[in-house]
Amino acid sequence: MVSDVLTPGEARQLGRLERHDTLEARNRRLAEGDAITMRVRRSDTARLAEFRIPYRKWMRVLDALNWVADNQAPDLAYRWFCGSKMCGTCAVRMNGREVLACWEAVEPDMTIEPLRNLPIIRDLMVDRGPFERKVEQLEPWLERSEAYSGFPEPLSHKQMKNASKALDCIGCMCCYSACPVIGLGDLTDFAGPAPLVQLGQTALDPRNDATKVAWSLALTGIFNCVSCYKCEEVCPASIPIVSQVIEPLKAKTAALVPDMAKHSNALRAVVAVRGYVDPSALVLKVHGLKALLNLRRALRLLFRGKINLLRTFLRRKTPASAAGARYLGREDVP
Amino acid sequence: MKFAYYPGCSARSTCAELNEATHRVAASLGLELVQLDTATCTGARELRAIDPLGFYILNVRILALAERERLPLMTICNTCTLNVLDAHATFLEDSDLAARINARLADEGLHYGGQTRISHFLWVLYEDIGEARLRMLVKRPLTGLTVAAFYGCHITRPPQRYKFVDSRNSIALERLAEILGCRPIDYSGRTECCGFHTAAHDERIAIKLTGAHIQAAKVNGANSMVTPCPLCHTVLDGFQREIEQDMGQKLGMPVLHLPQLVGLALGLSPEELRVDRHMVQFDPGTVIS
Repeated sequence: MVSDVLTPGEARQLGRLERHDTLEARNRRLAEGDAITMRVRRSDTARLAEFRIPYRKWMRVLDALNWVADNQAPDLAYRWFCGSKMCGTCAVRMNGREVLACWEAVEPDMTIEPLRNLPIIRDLMVDRGPFERKVEQLEPWLERSEAYSGFPEPLSHKQMKNASKALDCIGCMCCYSACPVIGLGDLTDFAGPAPLVQLGQTALDPRNDATKVAWSLALTGIFNCVSCYKCEEVCPASIPIVSQVIEPLKAKTAALVPDMAKHSNALRAVVAVRGYVDPSALVLKVHGLKALLNLRRALRLLFRGKINLLRTFLRRKTPASAAGARYLGREDVP
Repeated sequence: MKFAYYPGCSARSTCAELNEATHRVAASLGLELVQLDTATCTGARELRAIDPLGFYILNVRILALAERERLPLMTICNTCTLNVLDAHATFLEDSDLAARINARLADEGLHYGGQTRISHFLWVLYEDIGEARLRMLVKRPLTGLTVAAFYGCHITRPPQRYKFVDSRNSIALERLAEILGCRPIDYSGRTECCGFHTAAHDERIAIKLTGAHIQAAKVNGANSMVTPCPLCHTVLDGFQREIEQDMGQKLGMPVLHLPQLVGLALGLSPEELRVDRHMVQFDPGTVIS
């Protein structure tokens, strides 16, 4: 009997086969001449426009859109230019996920929609204005306050590791569409992943002037990033947006604009003293007496035993607290 | 099967019921847990951003504590899982950093050799127990539960690096729910973000995001939700009153921790699993007739 116990690492891949989550599996589902069903969200009607398209080998979403424009809907509005994953203009949502039309294989049944979080001009074309205005506001360029030390300037690949990842961006707006915080509109001042990647290209360059970088970072609302990695998941350029752009920018923000990192610094301080996070201690450290404004919730949590104020105020020395102090004590402040 | 067990901060404070349930379920599954009581916080999302070296030291220390026991590490929090995975991967990639960390850990007589296998409780069920044995262990099929699985972010993303399936294709929780006798539902929020990581300085993001997820679960017929992450649980359950106020409607959606769902199916009582500690009450009548 074959064991059904998965080998280490396999559980996190459950769904790959079942949901045809490889290019080979997707291609196997279609043969030359098969009919593809493509529904397109058009701006002049609430209903999805449905098209039947004959499949051709290696067919991409862009090929399907072109076929529709050539044969059935010459007024369909969509953008593309290079057709080879470089210009970043053809991004759309296919079955709920952001893709580049020029680089995505078709599926037997697909719904094509415009990107989210940007105004729609017509059909699949979105207005990139909000992104462009934010980038312009951040002034993502290098400024030097001192004379160059001479040429060539000493600059290692390690120093440029993160900025060079950000430089791979093709500005397609997939990440901007996938970001849940941007989806909340004006609720926060979060700049969003795409503008932060643009900023990261120069703000993470060690040659940039720190005062200039601090000025830009102050406009980003960067600590409103929820670290969900949805931007990374849809990035066609495979940029590690959270770990190699947003987090290094957060580190710079904490150093250059510490008021923006109050919560992060508070968590660090709590762990340094206790070794673990006591939620009540963290909330009190972040909000101070303002935390009392939410007294009703505190009482509810207390009633359910969710918070333990004795533990918060009468803290004990433990091996964990000793480790917190040892490794996050003042001498370790970066 | 024996594991070094790292509960994290939430399961020892706001979600203490998760820790209790995990110990009880582990016993029912035949898992022996050696709890790492001297371990610290993994640093959540904050420490890794503002103090990378401190972050790596604390996480590698946890891995070293497990390695000293010669045991694989079992976690029950998504964010802790990703943190130790990241620290382990960076430790193996950057030998200079690895040497620096081990030099610091040497003060405590600790050393990490890069050998610890990291597994979230959800993965342990598939990789150490197996579906067939789980089916055999189910004593009380949870046929009364129409459950919405809420995966959370950090055991489904980032893509590629840890070979996670594209998060939108994740099926591990739904398949497990079926094994336990529940009816899993499909809904838009299942692999979305709860917003926990900005909640300590501004709850509005979590309230808005999670409100939409709970509502989608309800509209699609769920009478309960289950999550493998205590941070998601804190928002889904602990913030639900504020979410209801924000939405202007009653949701009343009970949210179970993953080990509680498993434990109920294994025949443990709701009291043993401490479902009474939730802010939104779970009705035991839905699983016990």
